[in-house]
Amino acid sequence: MKSAPFEHHEPSTVEETVSLLESLDEPTILAGGQSLVPMLRFRLANPDVVVDINGVDDLDYMREDDGYLKLGALARHADVEDSDLVAEKYGSFADAAPLVADPQIRNRGTVVGSVAQADPKGDWGSILLAHDGDVVAHGPDGERVIPADEFFLLPYDTTLGDEELITEVRVPTPAPSEGSAYHKLKRKTGDYAMAGVAARLILDDDGRVDTARLGMTAVDITNARATDAEAHVEGERPSAELFEEAGELAAEESNPESDEHGDASYKERMVDVLAQRALGDAAERAGLVKRRVSQ
Amino acid sequence: MSDEREITLTVNGTEHTVEVEPRRLLVHTIREDLDMTGTHIGCDTGNCGACTVLKDGEPIKSCLMFAAQADGAELMTVEGMEDLPEATDLHPLQEGFKEEHGLQCGYCTPGMLMSGKALLDENPDPEEEEIREAISGNLCRCTGYQNIVSSIEYAADELADRAATDGGAVTVDSPAGTDGADTACGESGCGCGESADLFEREYPTEDTDR
Repeated sequence: MKSAPFEHHEPSTVEETVSLLESLDEPTILAGGQSLVPMLRFRLANPDVVVDINGVDDLDYMREDDGYLKLGALARHADVEDSDLVAEKYGSFADAAPLVADPQIRNRGTVVGSVAQADPKGDWGSILLAHDGDVVAHGPDGERVIPADEFFLLPYDTTLGDEELITEVRVPTPAPSEGSAYHKLKRKTGDYAMAGVAARLILDDDGRVDTARLGMTAVDITNARATDAEAHVEGERPSAELFEEAGELAAEESNPESDEHGDASYKERMVDVLAQRALGDAAERAGLVKRRVSQ
Repeated sequence: MSDEREITLTVNGTEHTVEVEPRRLLVHTIREDLDMTGTHIGCDTGNCGACTVLKDGEPIKSCLMFAAQADGAELMTVEGMEDLPEATDLHPLQEGFKEEHGLQCGYCTPGMLMSGKALLDENPDPEEEEIREAISGNLCRCTGYQNIVSSIEYAADELADRAATDGGAVTVDSPAGTDGADTACGESGCGCGESADLFEREYPTEDTDR
């Protein structure tokens, strides 16, 4: 099926994009297009105006800068997958990137576009939450930094303003004893997650958990943190028993819906298992403990 | 509101200028405006990979991109394979699909070939697991994939054998000792100095009737 006709704009700077967003009537932003193009074709989305940002200068980057790992709006999933920096220091990103969709889609789809889409089954939202990340938006009043915790409202709905463009997502560079991981259950390549859990742990000098974060995919109306599980882990020494308890708490905190892939109780059990695995990997990567959680 | 605009696509080395509406998908431009119907439309949803082409060397799904977004890009479709330097009659990948029975109905094959090509360009000696990952965005409903994996292995072996026996159709040492892969045409002992790089080769400038 063809998209309905639309007016196509191709700005070349962030400023130009923002002024288009201000002046045009309900424009839709096109980045990687791997979700938007099918929506346009099935006429689930029928914008009169599409603002294609693929030609905007200086948005195609992924770098450490000023205490953050920053991903520009045109950084593709494949850029994360292929990055040596990510492989070395950002375990959850390295885990997640190859699990997004399929190789062709990873060559086009963007991390920021996935976050902006705010599908609760998207992987990157959970990772941003687990990393205390930010969404950086540009609008008529300049730059606005939105903590990931305050970004997701409902499926496909966020606190981004109509006249704002997300130029970047960023997460703090890791502390010395920090590790992160992402585990995802999906039926086959190309499917969205049935459930996913991102974990991040910072250990103190005694090997106790100073900071714990868990972000969950596809088991609530948005990507969501498991704050009870986080609190249970903080202050404790990593152990299989501790992570089993955390997994149970995360499962209790999740609110999955039954669908053709499994009923809600099954998905809760999967959250439990995935949380244990992600916490185990994160603890191991934090470098101070041996892996003691069995797969 | 849906004004047509002029775009330029270089497909298999030949430059084409076409007028497209903004909503025109790249796959429709390739098939209907350029009459190159080797690139297939399977699912219409972005799942099946039958429409896979190489854009600037990377496999993408041409049903998930507007033609206007490919303005200025170098594209490769299945029609370009027989013109590649490593092709004799067929490209080794195509030979592989023939020899190993890598297709039954053939509908997914052009997309499989493109994904296989992208893989071997990046990784000439892939493990089975890596082949399966590379074609994981391409669905085949006939073969169960095993023969497709064998077909790509066949091509990898064939290319490696050639490289070992005659200096290789792909990685020839050039007489000047410069980087052969980039500067030699690939015919052993040819010495014509033509580039082996796909996008630097001379192709016929008219549309070929395929």
